[in-house]
Amino acid sequence: MFGRLVRESFVRNPRRKVLVAAALVVGMAVATSTLTIALEVGDRLAREFRSLGANLSVTPQADTLPIEIGGVDYRPVNEGAYLSETDLGKLKTIFWRHNILGFTPFLDVPGYLGETESQITLVGTWYEHEVPVPDGTTFKTGLSLTHPWWKIQGRWFRDGADECVVGAALAAKYPTTMAVGKTIAVGPKEISSYVRPLLVTGIVSTGDAEDSAVLVPLFVAQAVSNHPVQFRQLFVSALTKPADTFSERDPLKMTPTEYDRWFCSPYISSISFQIRTVLPGTDVRAIRRVADTEGRILSRLGTLLWIVTLAALGAAALAVAATAATTVLERRAEIGVMKALGATNFLIAGIFLAEQLLLAVAGGAIGFVVGAALARILGSSVFGTPASPRLILLPVVLGLAAIVAFLGSVIPLQRASHFDPAPILRGE
Amino acid sequence: MFWRLLWKLLRGSSGRLVVAILALVSGGLVVSALLNLEFDIERKLTQEFRMLGANLVISPGRDAQMPGVAPPALMNERDAFAAIQNMKDPAVVAAVPFLYIVERGGGTPVVVVGTKMEDLPKLEPSWRIEGQWSSSRDNQIPCVVGRNVAQQLRLAVNNPLDLTYLGKSARVTVTGILDTGGAEDNQIFMQLPEVQSLAGFPGEIGLVQLSVRGATKAISDYAARLGTALPAYEVRPIRQVTEAEGDLLNRIRLLIVSMVLLILALTALCVLATMAALAMERRHDVGLMKALGGSIARIVALFMAEVGVLGAAGGFVGSILGIELSRWMGQRVFGTAISARWEIFPLTVALMVAVALAGALPLRLLGKVKPAVIFRGE
Repeated sequence: MFGRLVRESFVRNPRRKVLVAAALVVGMAVATSTLTIALEVGDRLAREFRSLGANLSVTPQADTLPIEIGGVDYRPVNEGAYLSETDLGKLKTIFWRHNILGFTPFLDVPGYLGETESQITLVGTWYEHEVPVPDGTTFKTGLSLTHPWWKIQGRWFRDGADECVVGAALAAKYPTTMAVGKTIAVGPKEISSYVRPLLVTGIVSTGDAEDSAVLVPLFVAQAVSNHPVQFRQLFVSALTKPADTFSERDPLKMTPTEYDRWFCSPYISSISFQIRTVLPGTDVRAIRRVADTEGRILSRLGTLLWIVTLAALGAAALAVAATAATTVLERRAEIGVMKALGATNFLIAGIFLAEQLLLAVAGGAIGFVVGAALARILGSSVFGTPASPRLILLPVVLGLAAIVAFLGSVIPLQRASHFDPAPILRGE
Repeated sequence: MFWRLLWKLLRGSSGRLVVAILALVSGGLVVSALLNLEFDIERKLTQEFRMLGANLVISPGRDAQMPGVAPPALMNERDAFAAIQNMKDPAVVAAVPFLYIVERGGGTPVVVVGTKMEDLPKLEPSWRIEGQWSSSRDNQIPCVVGRNVAQQLRLAVNNPLDLTYLGKSARVTVTGILDTGGAEDNQIFMQLPEVQSLAGFPGEIGLVQLSVRGATKAISDYAARLGTALPAYEVRPIRQVTEAEGDLLNRIRLLIVSMVLLILALTALCVLATMAALAMERRHDVGLMKALGGSIARIVALFMAEVGVLGAAGGFVGSILGIELSRWMGQRVFGTAISARWEIFPLTVALMVAVALAGALPLRLLGKVKPAVIFRGE
């Protein structure tokens, strides 16, 4: 009897059911897509922020003080400590290796430019270099990953060739000798007989000190300075979680559980700790300017998006509940008949709630599918790659649909329980 | 007549209309809050990005030699700052002079930076200092040393330090230790006049760093204007991360706009459900109106007016609440309230009226009502 009543209600007046179901589908689609985006957005934004460039700097521990003004190190070549290029593959073996998006070594060498007879700085680095990783694979990294905002006219040097890229300020100063396609000769010192001819392949503008330097492949700078396989400073771009009070604590004072939690979270402090372990004798520092900006904006946008998501969920829930309430109100006459025939309030509520629950499950499931598709479209238009659907949201969305449909029906049903059947049946 | 009917209709089914208005208010609330956010997010984000530090540099012309290689090119402090002050641009967060010298007194050469120490926290909010930028005692010359310098020279806060440059020397007191993660960790910071007198360059500075708020275009515009005011010097934007900034902004805006559209669709659907139910209920009224000679257009207009009033009321209440919500969001998220924009009111009200009218479209079906059938009670 109960089942038949429910079925009949669906068959007899499908229009009402379609309206509630449509509201549920759209409402749950909104819920699914906003939740999917909100769950994914932190990770996406963190990746976006990596266009700010490197957020960690690695230098030798036992170093003398760099005489660095405006980004160029003026220390003589023989002074200070160096790091070895051969260990760099180990960076991709740390716990958070997948969060190491790129790294670039730098070696600044004071040089002499044959053509213009002037002193210049040679900056040895990688553009896209294949680094062998101990597990047998290779990892392609360099400036393209850690300094993505550097703009090049022409093309970058190949990492294994005798080529170079000239800073914009330097190129403007010597427009005839430092142009793309020309060959320049560089050497370590004025008096030295060692010169190396380099083909200029591009002109770079960095908005920093490199604008007045010559960028060369790392091995060229190493050869000119006579420091094979060595470099002075490494910039690392790592995907991190915004710092909080927990991450700022001293790992040595943590309990083992806290330490594990810290070690297994991609905080900038734990990643730099792990880098220090694989590259002993180094000093790993967070570049505060980048790391703090990133952390702060990320955590703020995260909070913001969650508030927006919750507001959207609230609006969706209210709209669905309102629609459900409307369809119950509409059936007052039916309720009157049932009551007149002796149905208890309990039974009537049961019939109506069972109907709403069925609708909620069906509408919620369709809404989940539509919402997942919507999240894909939104994800690809907002972040370039589609947001993958998360099955974990299905029970959440179904539950939400049931609660909302239930709450929407309860209030009008409660009012219906006070109905006197007679006036309703009279049509008043 | 029309208005009286409208009033009666609104009062007659108030219980039913409450449901519709609830949906409209909640829709209006979220939509207006999001729109207000959308208008303000650019300003808020560019402000946040100022944490990246200086983004504009004034330096002595392009031909200048790099410092340390040859005697550094210098510029006049007063000229540069007069130009900045004349522009009176509120977007300038901080403008700080720098003079670099290399001190070789203690055996290890160290870069000493003369600057306006009290302005540095404004220029570079991300720098962390242990101790203070200034000394509480007048008879001391304060200095702040970078982390690596402190480590290398074994310095702690309140330790004295002797600096020598070209025969002149000064005794300074370490008031703070600086941690930046950048080249500043290897430098010593002092007040500009002290370094100027030590170096023998009174009134001269090496460069000015500015932190300017705004989008990429606003910053390059400002740089160009400053460049014309200071023809002798070079003004250039540094750290071109503003592109990343703009990109990020666009993505967030797109996200907000798509959420607004979804919520509008949902609100329209809810209005549709309410109106469909209302139309069902009012078949008798409609039948009566028709029998009395009311035209379909007039009857539908009556319903539309009803829905329009609902939309306007929902939009109005919703936008007031929504602006309150966005103020709270701004306070909660960015620490400063998002200021209300008056455009939000008409925009939200218009959107809500449009959505309500769209939801009421099926009322056209009322045209099909046949009075005779209704009155027979079918």
